[in-house]
Amino acid sequence: MVPIKKLNFIVIDDSKLDCFIAEKIIKNTGINESIKSFLQATEALDYIKSIPVDDHTRSIILVDIQMPVMNGFEFVEAFEKLPPDITKNYTIFIISSSINENDLSRVHNYATVKQFLNKPLTSNNLSVLLAS
Amino acid sequence: MDTPKKIKVLYIDDEQNNLNGFKATFRFDYVVLIAVNIAQAYEHLKSNPDISVILCDQRMPDKTRVQFFEEMREEYDEPVRMLITGYTDIESVIDAVNRGHIFRYIKKPWTDTDIRSAIEEANKFYLTNSLLVAKNKELQSAYDELGKFAYSVTHDVRGPLLSILGALDLAKNMENGKELREILEMMEDAIHKLDEYIKNTHEYYKLKRGQLEFETIDFNNVLKDMAALFRIAGKMENIRFVSNVVQKDVFLSDEISIKTILNNLLSNAFNYQRKDAADKFVDVNIEVKDNVAIMTVKDNGIGIHESHINNIFTMFYRATSEETGSGLGLYNVKDALNKLSGAIEVTSAVNQGTTFKVIIPGKANGTN
Repeated sequence: MVPIKKLNFIVIDDSKLDCFIAEKIIKNTGINESIKSFLQATEALDYIKSIPVDDHTRSIILVDIQMPVMNGFEFVEAFEKLPPDITKNYTIFIISSSINENDLSRVHNYATVKQFLNKPLTSNNLSVLLAS
Repeated sequence: MDTPKKIKVLYIDDEQNNLNGFKATFRFDYVVLIAVNIAQAYEHLKSNPDISVILCDQRMPDKTRVQFFEEMREEYDEPVRMLITGYTDIESVIDAVNRGHIFRYIKKPWTDTDIRSAIEEANKFYLTNSLLVAKNKELQSAYDELGKFAYSVTHDVRGPLLSILGALDLAKNMENGKELREILEMMEDAIHKLDEYIKNTHEYYKLKRGQLEFETIDFNNVLKDMAALFRIAGKMENIRFVSNVVQKDVFLSDEISIKTILNNLLSNAFNYQRKDAADKFVDVNIEVKDNVAIMTVKDNGIGIHESHINNIFTMFYRATSEETGSGLGLYNVKDALNKLSGAIEVTSAVNQGTTFKVIIPGKANGTN
């Protein structure tokens, strides 16, 4: 048996409760190497920039859309401007309560965003996305 | 009682004699502006946006009248246009109606009564039209706000609901009591946030739809009601709360609006504190002088960054993810102040605090 490769997770959501839920659910899967959550997208971006290039192991970013200061789309746009040898290590999922068509279709504009997920995050839909 | 405003009429003719005659005849009934050429006519239109009727006589030397009306409509669409002419050439009449969108065609020689009745009719048309334009503007802005609301509802109402749903799902399989309590507390916060949003929405509609009711405002009383609530919150969070009211004169204003303004400014001052600061305070000062109320709300909290300060009064704008804001509070403050013809100033520095200064003119005594 090949052991499953562990992943790093970054959760970005201005709701403390949603960060907490995501952390718990991810921990329950046991697949995480590490989990970091941020209430502000700017802080998450600073964190990603601050890690030495060699340390960017496979990571998954779960990011909300509507957040004050820097919203989810602005985060993705800023992220896509980072050097490719950093961005290639990340897969972004947008997770939101939005049912606005513009938000949903806008997700396809970003190469680094893999999929749109509806809130709330559950262990079920987390395992589906990890299997893909 | 005010006398009804005189109708403002612009009369254009290339003969100075005609202009003088027209003005002499009608100057008592209307405000008459005269122009001997198109450049002059434009000058009048520019400095008198309330011109309601334009009369144009004969051929103009620099342009045909139809051309003039056609061009004028692009910039000044509201005044009602009429032509006075001696020609009965059907082509020019058709042109004037179709391209110049004229309201009446007055044949020469005219009588005072012809002109008078035409002006009165034209003015009625103008008033109805302006009302329609104003209503349309109102409707458009209401429609824009509705769009913003619809979008925000998915986030501000659906957001907390889905959080609670997610938390419930998680809590079902939780056995550790401490963890369970932790998640319950967070659910409680989410419910408070939702409730806050609903209350603010209600406040918004109360302000928007409600008529102002002017009554004597006793700021000591207004503050006393409110301060009791904030004092409790202040004690719990260890925030010093000082209030000071100087009011000797009677002040007429709308109490609901005043309370909305104070309540929002105070709750912001209490909410956006630096959690670990040693000497947290909120100061409120109200002074009524020369029929103007000046309210100052000052805190030494987290402050507002320069780059956000221009946006804080925008609907649904939130400058921070700290604390539970709906993005409606300061918008409601601004809205209430607009209704009272008041003003607000803000000075702020990050981690040093914020001061809001509100200036509200009292309603003049004796008028109604």
